Amino acid sequence: MASADKTINTDVPEKDVFAIHFLQSLSNLRTQNLFNSPDTTNYRVRKIKKAAYVSMARAAGGTSRLWSRALLRRATKGNNKIVRFPRKKRKVTWKISSKRRRSDQRAPVVEEAAERLRNLVPGGGGMETSKLMEETAHYIKCLSMQVKVMQCLVDGLSPK
Amino acid sequence: MNRAIEADLLLNYNTDMSVLERQRAHLKYLNPGFDSPLAGFFSDSSMINGGVIDGFLGTDGLNLPMIYGDTTVEGDPRLSISPETMIGTGNFKKRKFDTETKDCDGKKKKIMMMNREDEVEEEEDEKSKLTEQNNGSTRSIKKMKNKAKKEENSYSSDSSKVTIQKTDYIHVRARRGQATDSHSIAERVRREKISERMKFLQDLVPGCDKITGKAGMLDEIINYVQSLQRQIEFLSMKLAVVNPRPDFDMDDIFAKEVASSTPMTVVPSPEMVNSGYSHEMVNSGYSNEMVSSGYLHFNPMQQVDTTSSDPLSSCFNNGQAPSMWDSHVQNLYGSLGV
Repeated sequence: MASADKTINTDVPEKDVFAIHFLQSLSNLRTQNLFNSPDTTNYRVRKIKKAAYVSMARAAGGTSRLWSRALLRRATKGNNKIVRFPRKKRKVTWKISSKRRRSDQRAPVVEEAAERLRNLVPGGGGMETSKLMEETAHYIKCLSMQVKVMQCLVDGLSPK
Repeated sequence: MNRAIEADLLLNYNTDMSVLERQRAHLKYLNPGFDSPLAGFFSDSSMINGGVIDGFLGTDGLNLPMIYGDTTVEGDPRLSISPETMIGTGNFKKRKFDTETKDCDGKKKKIMMMNREDEVEEEEDEKSKLTEQNNGSTRSIKKMKNKAKKEENSYSSDSSKVTIQKTDYIHVRARRGQATDSHSIAERVRREKISERMKFLQDLVPGCDKITGKAGMLDEIINYVQSLQRQIEFLSMKLAVVNPRPDFDMDDIFAKEVASSTPMTVVPSPEMVNSGYSHEMVNSGYSNEMVSSGYLHFNPMQQVDTTSSDPLSSCFNNGQAPSMWDSHVQNLYGSLGV
């Protein structure tokens, strides 16, 4: 899937990659022997949802995207033997704070919408508005891909 | 031809053109036969010298027509006007450079010119880099400039005596009636970036073409993201319901099957998984049943047409040949049946 704009690169891998990752995570879930009792449905749902997001983050490029990185970090809080986060020099932090200080001067309409977007997109809290939009675009693409994969799976596995 | 160029000049005069463009346009107006990189080259040196050639350029290496001699007389008043007139729009550095060079002696000119040019070029480069980044409207001009600069560099490398490089600076022209504050320029650049990205998002989100205005579009985008997330949650609930948990491990059985039988296409395993599931749900997972059903389904599968209706593989492959699935996926599908 090539992106139309050259300056904004939001290439997302094909459906197969997402499918592979998701199936892998699902099979891992199964081996955990969770699904026996009926009263754990809620728990099961949550687990599956979490697995879906994590597999999506992995499929979409692992730690090379800010939102996926934040998602994976959130998912493996504490027991991180799964994902390796690259050690980058965090020069960015002070820059962001200096920009944020003047954020009141930016168009307030845009900024309040950006605030809502930040709550939705994982890892949005530390980003500038323009970067946020780029991440949102990539996130939307990945989400739609994941939805397609899951839809296919549900259709394939549902009883006829 | 001249009229067109003149009109073009006038048109361009008020937009964010850099000094270079105007010089080139002027020169073109005077000498329509000129090639643009050369023209720019000449214009700069004529600006520097005030039009006097002291053997300064070292024209030995270049095959110059005599036009250059001609231009200096008539070109000079024209070209010298232009910096003055351009000052009003904030072209300060260029003027300073001019007045300074007029004081120099003939012989020293070359050296001083080089030094000053280097300094000024550095400063200008820095400033131009900063301002370039800050002003999206001059981006296209920058590209042209870089091209021109490369061409000129190649020219200068050809003729060893000509050592001066073009002062290739790009002024961020503050538009009429707007502040020249660096903050506001940066602000403007930032806003342009944001609007560029919003346009990109607009193409991505369905149904956003009709809505104009940043706020509405952003609301639409937020709603879309929320709906996608809700869809994922809903589908995960469905998946949780659809897959009951079997008690045994299918991996070994599958591995045995795969190893013993002749190389098969991938299609059988998804089919088997499907049928295995339906069997499972009916029989609540008796291992014998599964194995037998597996055996049953495996053999006839070999003759099954690869494009047979299999929702799982078909929806993933979109009708492509399933042979693209490698054995890894095969095992995955197998383990899904677990």
